[in-house]
Amino acid sequence: MTVLLVEDDALLAETLVDTLGLEGHDVCHLADGDAARVRLSAPGHGVELVLLDLNLPGCNGLAVLEALRRHDRDTPVLILTARGAVEDRVRGLDLGADDYLAKPFALDELEARVRALLRRRSPDPQLRVGALKLDTRHQRFTLEDAPLALPPREQRLLSCLMHHAGEPVDKTRLAQEAFQGDAMGDNAIEVYVHRLRKRLGDSGVALRTVRGLGYLLEVE
Amino acid sequence: MKRGDSLYRRLLGWLLLPLLVLGSLILIQAWVDAQRTADRAFDRLLEAASLAIAEQVQWQDDRLWLDLPPAALEMLATDAEERVFYSLVDGQGRLITGNAELPGDPRQGSGDADTLRYRHIDWQGLSLRQGVRRTRLEDWRVRDPFEVRVAHSREGRDALAAELWRANLAMILAMAALATVGLLLAIRAALTPLTRLRRAIRARDPRTLAPLELSLPRELAELRDTVNELLARMRRVRANQERFIGDASHQLRTPLAGLSARAELALRQDDPARWREALVAMQASSARTARLAVQLLSLTRLANPEYRPDLVPLELNAIARQAVRDHWAPCHRQGVDLGVETVDGEVWVRGIDWLLAEAIGNLIDNACRYGGRRVTVQVEDEPPRLAVEDDGPGIPPQRRLLMLRPFHRDRDDLEGSGLGLAIVDGIARTHGARLQLSAGHDGRGLRVALQFPGDTP
Repeated sequence: MTVLLVEDDALLAETLVDTLGLEGHDVCHLADGDAARVRLSAPGHGVELVLLDLNLPGCNGLAVLEALRRHDRDTPVLILTARGAVEDRVRGLDLGADDYLAKPFALDELEARVRALLRRRSPDPQLRVGALKLDTRHQRFTLEDAPLALPPREQRLLSCLMHHAGEPVDKTRLAQEAFQGDAMGDNAIEVYVHRLRKRLGDSGVALRTVRGLGYLLEVE
Repeated sequence: MKRGDSLYRRLLGWLLLPLLVLGSLILIQAWVDAQRTADRAFDRLLEAASLAIAEQVQWQDDRLWLDLPPAALEMLATDAEERVFYSLVDGQGRLITGNAELPGDPRQGSGDADTLRYRHIDWQGLSLRQGVRRTRLEDWRVRDPFEVRVAHSREGRDALAAELWRANLAMILAMAALATVGLLLAIRAALTPLTRLRRAIRARDPRTLAPLELSLPRELAELRDTVNELLARMRRVRANQERFIGDASHQLRTPLAGLSARAELALRQDDPARWREALVAMQASSARTARLAVQLLSLTRLANPEYRPDLVPLELNAIARQAVRDHWAPCHRQGVDLGVETVDGEVWVRGIDWLLAEAIGNLIDNACRYGGRRVTVQVEDEPPRLAVEDDGPGIPPQRRLLMLRPFHRDRDDLEGSGLGLAIVDGIARTHGARLQLSAGHDGRGLRVALQFPGDTP
């Protein structure tokens, strides 16, 4: 997996190259906007994910993004910038970036975002959250390598949570997924969550409650 | 600015226009006068000629007889070589003699008075001035009435009129030219203070905001005072900014000094355990410094009096939920239980989504930083309100207002920048919302609420 890192700060770039290298990615690092634009303007750029700084020597990050999006709408782009305001985030996302991380960021936050973007890029038939696995082709769950048999509603609920592992999912949305239009009321979802928790036990996968909002599946 | 829109040109236009109208009227008047004078002069000749002819009319052989004196016609033909006509007509209107059969004067009235009556006629393609004299023979035997008609073409008159008019014209034009020059000079002189003001403004050092000091006429003095008021306002804004930049630079320099010192100390030591300790401390400090820089930027923008963003309709429940989604993971890592309490239905306000997100972010951050373990983002209806409540130690009522001041920190606050609440206060003001600080629902912790103006969009 080739990740293109466009970042002009030497210390940050070195750290990110090492971090992503340890995660098993091939990282190509460019320090200026013009080089990045040249690289990404070519149709066969062979990049699977772009980490893009906005303040660059040469042309700025938004121009690089524009050049890429002119011929390529699929390659995910994660913007890294020191311009902290949400206003700039909106602008980047409008131009076709997939995600946004404001500097400074925690390295595990970056790793999680990179994983999520790459997962979206090439949907792995195997979804994994810690010891919990889902074979999406056959809707088959395994927990600690043992098959986990679930009734349909719990299956759908868990599948939805696994697709969004690490991020809170609204209760309303979960109810829609699990009950598929049956009028069951949002509170009924709690019953199924309770059952799922029992099944997950102390496998290291936790189903957390986000108070007032919904639930979230994560590795403890 | 349009090219034609100059004060100088406008003044000149308004002053020259009446001058032009007046000049034209004077010219017309002069022309009419010249004509009248020329007519009066030449009419005398007509009168003399007709009188000379009339005196020569006699009664001979039972009929009227005229022995035309050549001088009578010569006096009508001046150097302008007019064509001269005369005819003698008897009482019954029959032509007795003459070099042309001139028409009579159809006008009735005191016809038999021995006077000359003038008129303009167009006769056989010629424009003529004609005089008709009705009179009688002064013979003791016969007192027959007869008419002497004399006429001449207008060359002499026109030449005289033109000459008179030309003399006037030269004078009028000279006066007009003089008046125009006078006007130009007067306007230029009147506008000189404006030029001085312009030069004074242009010559200023763009960095100084000192008031303009130059004496000007009353109208421009008002302008100068207005400019000076603006400059005074700008001075106040700049003083504020300079104080803020001073504070900010101090705030940024302090943690950087800490980082540098900590790194230096670690490098003097050889124990990897000490290095690790130092690195952990430095990571925390650098993260705080970075956050401080972001906050300073927000606050600078909000403090700008010219910053007036467009407010759009927003739904508060959605904003609160999104904020919780965004902040849940970092809070959870710190062991803080972040949640949301929304209301049924929709709560609409006018605002800017990213500013409200920033406000909630700052409030959540503050709550976590100051000992909150359970932090809740709340939405309320009637009036629309967005609040963040925590279960931390809270702030005593008498100190709450102080917290809104940038860089103000409580004695026991070692971590914060003191900017969070100032930013939230700025955002509240941008939204026309009231910032309310109170204790949490059971008297514990702190609850910070933005109460929006009640109008629903």
